[in-house]
Amino acid sequence: MQNLLCTNPSFSPVLIHNFSLLSFIYSVALPRMSSKAHSSNNIAHARRTVQQLRIEASIERIKVSKASADLMNYCSEHARNDPLLMGIPASDNPFKDKKPCTIL
Amino acid sequence: MCDQTFVAVTFGPCDSCSKASPLMNIYIKNEPINYCSFCVEMMACQGLQKGETLASLKRECDNLKKKLEEERGKLNDVELHQVAEKTEVLGALSVKTRRVLKGHGNKVLCMDWCKDRRRLVSSSQDGKVIVWDAFTLNKEHGITLPCTWVMACAYAPSGCAVACGGLDNKCSVVPLSLDKTENLAAKKKSVAMHTNYVSGCTFTNSDMQLLTCSGDGTCALWDVESGQLLQSFHGHTADVLSLDLAPSETGNTFVSGGCDKKANVWDMRSGQNIQSFESHESDINCVKYYPSGDAFASASDDATCRFYDLRADREVAVYQKDSIIFGASTVDFSLSGRLLFAGYNDYTINAWDVLKGTRVSVLFGHENRISRVRVSPDGTALCSASWDNTLRIWA
Repeated sequence: MQNLLCTNPSFSPVLIHNFSLLSFIYSVALPRMSSKAHSSNNIAHARRTVQQLRIEASIERIKVSKASADLMNYCSEHARNDPLLMGIPASDNPFKDKKPCTIL
Repeated sequence: MCDQTFVAVTFGPCDSCSKASPLMNIYIKNEPINYCSFCVEMMACQGLQKGETLASLKRECDNLKKKLEEERGKLNDVELHQVAEKTEVLGALSVKTRRVLKGHGNKVLCMDWCKDRRRLVSSSQDGKVIVWDAFTLNKEHGITLPCTWVMACAYAPSGCAVACGGLDNKCSVVPLSLDKTENLAAKKKSVAMHTNYVSGCTFTNSDMQLLTCSGDGTCALWDVESGQLLQSFHGHTADVLSLDLAPSETGNTFVSGGCDKKANVWDMRSGQNIQSFESHESDINCVKYYPSGDAFASASDDATCRFYDLRADREVAVYQKDSIIFGASTVDFSLSGRLLFAGYNDYTINAWDVLKGTRVSVLFGHENRISRVRVSPDGTALCSASWDNTLRIWA
């Protein structure tokens, strides 16, 4: 919801920095807030994180070169069907104004 | 940190103590376990007695994170823009504003196209949801919601209903009727109930299921007819701002991005978080799948858009320029996936070459920040919604 508070663009760059600083301070302050009553919560949370990381570490990955080649192939295969990329004639595009027809 | 109140998925007898209470659905070794919150705590304490301390778990956590980074790094043999040097350079886009849709009284926060490629729905801060015919600029339906800041709206695949939600913490579905005199707000049905604002919603492949994401840090899948929660997705540690469904017919995954700077990919059937990407330096405002479904892009308050490949499990491109200092709030791909349109808080839309990583064009015209950019289903036009109370169609 932070971005909703920035109404004037000339102030935004300063505000963005402040918020990132605040969120950094907040994230550093959080561990100090845990007390004995929350320790079992932390363990459950840590276990869930470890499990999640185990799942993520075990997935199969392919090389970036192969992934990039596939992305490029997809782009070139579909490029000719892409109206915004290729441009289609005004008569086919319902949004473009058609030339007025002259009645002879 | 957001209010991550637990939406109780099920209520019933706990698997271990048999007392009826709200159950926490957790997964242990991919098996779903339904324990009441007391038994979960007991289980966690038992884990402690077996010699697992918080410190040892944290160490394992850090080791796994390092291992993950190494595994991902091993496959980074070349950059996307290097591979793309062979492709031809794109010429400048000849895209101009063709229509300006005026009618909202306040900031337009969200819009969505209908599958018929001519209608679109938009929602605004004043609580109004309007269905437009983009060819004729006709306002076909207008729905007034009791809440302000309607941040999410979506068109049903059949074109017969729209979903909208926002600060009322709910997402409602409104069936659209052909009868213009009928009061549509009376037929509104509340489907999703969250404990914080609803930031994004989308129908799945049919009108029957609705996927929502919320400021309470969760995403949820709902049955429209009964309003029942089918699956909830927990894992984000802050507000979730955006989600997108994978494009393929058989695909059962979606990606979500939030204020915790993470973009997570989820399996809709199991509720499991499959992959997670954390490379942005600030809140992720929008995520969108690449048309092939193998990659997705994200827009963030750190003024960059990034492109992640799911099969390589890493970020493969960053779209940034020193002259762009304002956050990006929305992204969408063109039909072939070669162009990425991103709307920024400096009132412009930038078109990026996805493969080469360079900026192709800048679209000027709006007088306030862009809240949403969407390419029409057949790719002929781009619609942008803005805080200047208008929507523009570019073609």
